[in-house]
Amino acid sequence: MDATRLSGDAVVTGPPIIKDLVGAVPDPELPWVTIAELGVLRGARISGERAVVEVTPTWSGCPAIDAITDSIRAVLTEAGFGLEQIEIHTTYSPAWTTDDITHDGLRKLAQAGIAPPRRPAEDPQGATRCPLCDSSGVRPVSEFGATPCKALMVCNACLEPFDRFKEL
Amino acid sequence: MANERSFVTISVVSAQHPGRARFEALLAAEEKVEPADWMPEGYRKTLIRQIAQHAHSEVIGMQPEGNWISRAPTLKRKAILMAKVQDEAGHGLYLYSAAETLGITRDEMVRLLHEGKQKYSSIFNYPTLSWADIGCIGWLVDGAAITNQVMLTRCSFGPYARGMVRICKEESFHQRQGFQIMETLCRGSAEQREMAQDGLGRWWWPSLMMFGPHDSDSTHSDQSMAWKIKRVSNDDLRQQFVDMTVPQADYLGLTVPDPELRWNPERGHYDFGEIDWDEFWAVVRGNGPMNRERIAHKRAAWYDGAWVRKAASAYAARHTGQVG
Amino acid sequence: MTSRSETATSCHREEHRQLLFRYVLAHADDNLILAQRLSGWISRAPDLEEDIAMANIALDLLGRARMLLDYAGQLEGRDRSEDDLAMFRSEREFTNLLLVEQPNGDFAHTMVRQFLYDAYQTALWKSLCGSADATLAGIAGKAIKEARYHLRHSGTWLLRLGRGTEESHRRTQRALEGLWRFTAEMFETSETDRKLAGAGLGVEPAGLQPGWERGVEKVFCEAGLQIPNDRFARSGGRSGFHTEHLGLMLAEMQWMQRAYPGMQW
Repeated sequence: MDATRLSGDAVVTGPPIIKDLVGAVPDPELPWVTIAELGVLRGARISGERAVVEVTPTWSGCPAIDAITDSIRAVLTEAGFGLEQIEIHTTYSPAWTTDDITHDGLRKLAQAGIAPPRRPAEDPQGATRCPLCDSSGVRPVSEFGATPCKALMVCNACLEPFDRFKEL
Repeated sequence: MANERSFVTISVVSAQHPGRARFEALLAAEEKVEPADWMPEGYRKTLIRQIAQHAHSEVIGMQPEGNWISRAPTLKRKAILMAKVQDEAGHGLYLYSAAETLGITRDEMVRLLHEGKQKYSSIFNYPTLSWADIGCIGWLVDGAAITNQVMLTRCSFGPYARGMVRICKEESFHQRQGFQIMETLCRGSAEQREMAQDGLGRWWWPSLMMFGPHDSDSTHSDQSMAWKIKRVSNDDLRQQFVDMTVPQADYLGLTVPDPELRWNPERGHYDFGEIDWDEFWAVVRGNGPMNRERIAHKRAAWYDGAWVRKAASAYAARHTGQVG
Repeated sequence: MTSRSETATSCHREEHRQLLFRYVLAHADDNLILAQRLSGWISRAPDLEEDIAMANIALDLLGRARMLLDYAGQLEGRDRSEDDLAMFRSEREFTNLLLVEQPNGDFAHTMVRQFLYDAYQTALWKSLCGSADATLAGIAGKAIKEARYHLRHSGTWLLRLGRGTEESHRRTQRALEGLWRFTAEMFETSETDRKLAGAGLGVEPAGLQPGWERGVEKVFCEAGLQIPNDRFARSGGRSGFHTEHLGLMLAEMQWMQRAYPGMQW
């Protein structure tokens, strides 16, 4: 990414560029997906000489949000913004839900072995499937998992223990 | 890379089993052995021992860090620490589930832990005496654990290897935060820098001990390497860790407590001093600073909770399908 | 958490802003104090699943407390951060409910306390989703979803414990008898509550009581537990008149900041 072009020239600092740049920041604990795919990035724009970014936290207690804002700051600094030119806002409304995860995001979670959250509105019959063997014969081990967003399941068919992304 | 000797051992155990050829072919092709596949008894037992020990380490490791949750200096640090300890419990649960696929129950593993028949990482037998120790555990202990676990992502047993990929990502996040604690202390007041140096002074050598005895003294290593459970030797992993960590200590302006530590341009590695093996074996055998306390804490929680578990299973027995 | 929003200071009349500051701070305190209490279970729970659940719930509550403290700091306009508010206020300045500062006791005691609180939080945040204050409504929108998860967890435990074994039933009934006197405080309506409710910003706690009672009575009935007849109610938390338990807890929580003031961590 060309730093001077980004911060200096109004023509190439259009919304898509900064949005792509910031949106590509990976989630610190689920680095297979970006913050854009997770739906954590609510907006990114240039306002005069400033970069204005809006993010929303997932689960209230998830400390990943602090790491995410640090990474956004790092990416923007690298792109030529001074620290004083970076504005990151946290917004709570509307509250983040797992419906904010893009379809690419869902696919990437599944590829990483994490059963994606269900979407009852899109797929009322959708059941959690084993990310390894695709069996729907799975059982919960724990409603709460290693991170606030996950629960632990086990597949009855291939015995694989796996994380399920909880619906919120 | 599979050495001849291992296959001789395997064939003695189960010469005629038709699954043997497939097991060997999987190993040779760098493919994963899955729970339903045939496997030699020794392979199964080694994995159970190792995965159970790994799970116990995650669970016992909650204690030294849990010791600082109520006193964390800021709410952000408290949240990060709480999330980290939750993460460890979650990894422990994942690992117990992975071990269960090999035909042992979690209750059995817990019993073996309480009776001292299964081990956990000795590092958690050291106490956390200041806030810097929380930084040191993230930076050094997680750093050493990740070095080991990155290797385990290539382990031949599927559920273990796949679990390690996800666990490594989560632990890297925590290691970074541990390092940030150290960075903040080292940029802070003289008192804070002193705290950081004291922490490094106490955690450095125990962290090096995490990689186990020298290769020449390691009882299980050769077989584990042949079975591709272990992919890199203890001494090589330890060297990797030292090479990675010393520049970080330099960056922090802290002194590694090893007068023999120096860069060796010929080897392209750091040379470092000898571990105090008497201390190493004392801790392994149960005489570290906190061994008794850790197990007593764990057993107390288990026995205090017995009536709760009993109530839950009594309820579940009467309302099958409603609990969960 | 990452920036000070302009809206907090400009949208409200000065009087409302100060009232809202106290209101938000009180709810922040509830969540902070209970998070601190619950975290005491981590590594001491009856099984690993509960270690994880306790840590997760404590973390959700702490996260909620941080959002609220941050917002309270903005409303107050004296540039106090979440840590200033959490670590440098005394016992008399905390305005949390007495219920949340009660010691953990045994697992039944913790779960009864949690259930009473989760049921209250579910009712509270559901109402606050309609607050005319956008930030508070936004926080409520997040909180309500998590509170429902928590309520399901503690409610399920109440059934298991109430209907599990004779011992678990006895312990749970005893916990309920010990904690019931702290529940009325949740629904006391102060002058602040009334004014904020009138302005469409807050809710009158008394209005939450009937729904809360129906909800908890249903679970207690299913769990075979008796609501105590004792009508004695202890309150005072909202005006800083606490039980003796809070001071010791704050001493531990605030120790680092007080021992090493003015440092970064």
